[in-house]
Amino acid sequence: MANENQATFPLDEAVDFVIVGSGSAGGILAKELSTNGFSVVVMEQGPFRTAKDFTHDELSVLMFDELSGGLNDVHQQTFRDDESKEGELVQGRSPAWYAQTVGGSSVHFTANFWRFREVDFKERSLLGPISGTNFADWPISYDELEPYYSRVDWEIGVSGAPGPSDSFRSRPFPMPPMPVKSSGVLLETGAKAMGFEVQAAPLAILSKPLNGRPACINCGFCMGFGCEANAKSSTLAAMIPAAMESGNCEIRADSAVFRVGTNAAGRADEVFYYDAEGSERSQKAKAVILSANGAETPRLLLNSANDQFPDGLANSSGFVGRNLMFNCHSLANANFEQPLNDYKSVQVTRIVHHFYDADPARGFYGGGGLDARPLFAATPILYATAASTPGVATWGAEFKEHLAHNFTRHMTIIGNATSLAQDSNNITIDPTHKDQWGRPSIRLTYKDHEDDIATASFLQDRAMEILDAAGAAKSWADHVEHQTNGPHLLGTCRMGDDPENSVVDKFHRTHDIPNLFLCDGSSFVTSGRGQPTMTIMALAFRASEHIMAAARNNEI
Amino acid sequence: MSSEALTRRLFLQGSGSVTGSALMRAGIPTFIAVSQAACTAKEEASAFENLSSAEAREVIAIAARILPTTDTPGATEAGVVFFIDKALGTFRAEGADDWRGMLADFQEGVPDAFPGAQLLSDLDETDQDEYLKSVEETPFFQDMRFLTITGVFGMAMYGGNRDGIGWKLVGMDGPPHAWLAPYGYYDAEYTAAQEQQNGE
Repeated sequence: MANENQATFPLDEAVDFVIVGSGSAGGILAKELSTNGFSVVVMEQGPFRTAKDFTHDELSVLMFDELSGGLNDVHQQTFRDDESKEGELVQGRSPAWYAQTVGGSSVHFTANFWRFREVDFKERSLLGPISGTNFADWPISYDELEPYYSRVDWEIGVSGAPGPSDSFRSRPFPMPPMPVKSSGVLLETGAKAMGFEVQAAPLAILSKPLNGRPACINCGFCMGFGCEANAKSSTLAAMIPAAMESGNCEIRADSAVFRVGTNAAGRADEVFYYDAEGSERSQKAKAVILSANGAETPRLLLNSANDQFPDGLANSSGFVGRNLMFNCHSLANANFEQPLNDYKSVQVTRIVHHFYDADPARGFYGGGGLDARPLFAATPILYATAASTPGVATWGAEFKEHLAHNFTRHMTIIGNATSLAQDSNNITIDPTHKDQWGRPSIRLTYKDHEDDIATASFLQDRAMEILDAAGAAKSWADHVEHQTNGPHLLGTCRMGDDPENSVVDKFHRTHDIPNLFLCDGSSFVTSGRGQPTMTIMALAFRASEHIMAAARNNEI
Repeated sequence: MSSEALTRRLFLQGSGSVTGSALMRAGIPTFIAVSQAACTAKEEASAFENLSSAEAREVIAIAARILPTTDTPGATEAGVVFFIDKALGTFRAEGADDWRGMLADFQEGVPDAFPGAQLLSDLDETDQDEYLKSVEETPFFQDMRFLTITGVFGMAMYGGNRDGIGWKLVGMDGPPHAWLAPYGYYDAEYTAAQEQQNGE
């Protein structure tokens, strides 16, 4: 299936669009542009895995990070919490964590799909500036993005039911929520006892067949794994096949882009990459779209610096790579008396958005949502290695009895919180290290704002109240620490009307280079309350429409 | 002693007709229980591809303290030694020499702590636990813990988790992994109450 019957384009003839990245945004852009008659080459650094390649192999997928192409010894990313320090080479999983495979991180995500609300786009206008941060409004509103959220619901496939305080939706969900799990029941029970609003979790997972794809089989291997049923709504399952069938799209996998070239007129015209054999190649393009994720997109722009653009492409504002946001997180854990068997089925079936809005009375900025899930108790190796239960031995007979008893009795409530945009949190190029292709490495500089920590802690306290009210036999929560890694890579090439403090305009065109577009998590101005992929996909549908219109009007 | 001779000796020391669980009840030293695992299939007569017999004894002993045989199976029955043996030829091939060096360092501490003993597997279980507690922060022990866990719960193709012992231990149904609601106690209760309310 992979690579059969798709178009192939010669490298030395300019295709209409080269899209770098086949993930949540790239997959949608590829399908929209190609099915509307444009020639498209999609560069994907990872291989072309499909449903038949996805296993339940915890060792390979979770411990050795198979879908990301391996652990950080391969990627050589570095991390520091402050710009005065040197980046340190991270052991284990790479700190900017994303899948390297056709479909990108939409293949391995947990499929929590939360729309933003009106407030997420206009929060600075509502609350005023926050000194020391780049807290800003988006140049677009919820109303402008809403039709595209609905396209994600119906064309990508989102199951759920409206929550009591959700923003307006023009169309209903295409299918009902997934059947509730014990973790969801306990969240609901505890939340109701505390007087908190609770609702079904919207998920990019099919509860009923849709668009020729089957419903979920509840196997429990969502988080970190690819879906062998095509029921989890990756762009691999939902968009890539149609793109390839159009006859106008070539998915060029195993192609690691290392530079975008510009011509004398200051336009992007060529995309340089290492092919499957590691040889240098380039593809000519009339226009280029970067959808490589919030770490890879700024990295590519910075690594493409040339005489014309010595600070990197599209970087006249100096904002490329800046304002990195992970969302802040907290965990509240519990064991219950009876077995939940939460290893079965999807991770999350209930959420609490009661604390979505920021409340100045709390004394800090921020808001968020709670979700209930097995988390580490989804699969046994993960549980035995990652879940730490206080007061329990970590080896020996007591440890074994703990695993035997608690694997089926465990759940976690995650507090998903806002992150404030700070210039001091950013993606830069590491001066020393190089990845498996010899490309200068990603260096992350990140320290959660104290308000982010305060919000995550506030949510954690509410989660502990819920667990207590639900009758947990034992509950515990570790102090919220500053994060040193993240799968949410947001804000690093932000959208804005003013070229002095943004990288792309409201239609994802870079201010500096008229035929270079950026559309992925880097486009975000604020972080939202968590689960950003739904918004990335809506932005991609919207960007597709405007890019096509511009192309037809010869405005690119 | 060759690995063939080791496994034969282990088999002869055990009682040929008893089941694994009977061995457990008899309280026979842990390493003998491996005879059950070692002799269930013909290809295991030559037991180990990468581990020497001496290394295998130590690996068996360490793993058996990390996830012991109690009234339920543990690392020994799951075949963790076979998982680690296989790993040294596959995903741990590159670091195999380093690992052997760390094992040697680990063993050097045994006679210091317990004069007269050479290997961990010479000690009784209480003394083994005492020694392991003294080294539990070391990278070698932490890695053995990781290998024991992955050996017990990993997919069978990696050489461990024999007969799905690991998954059974934690109450995980399947494979295949495909379910219909209700899944657990609380959602079953909730759904039944909802259905009653709806008059179904």
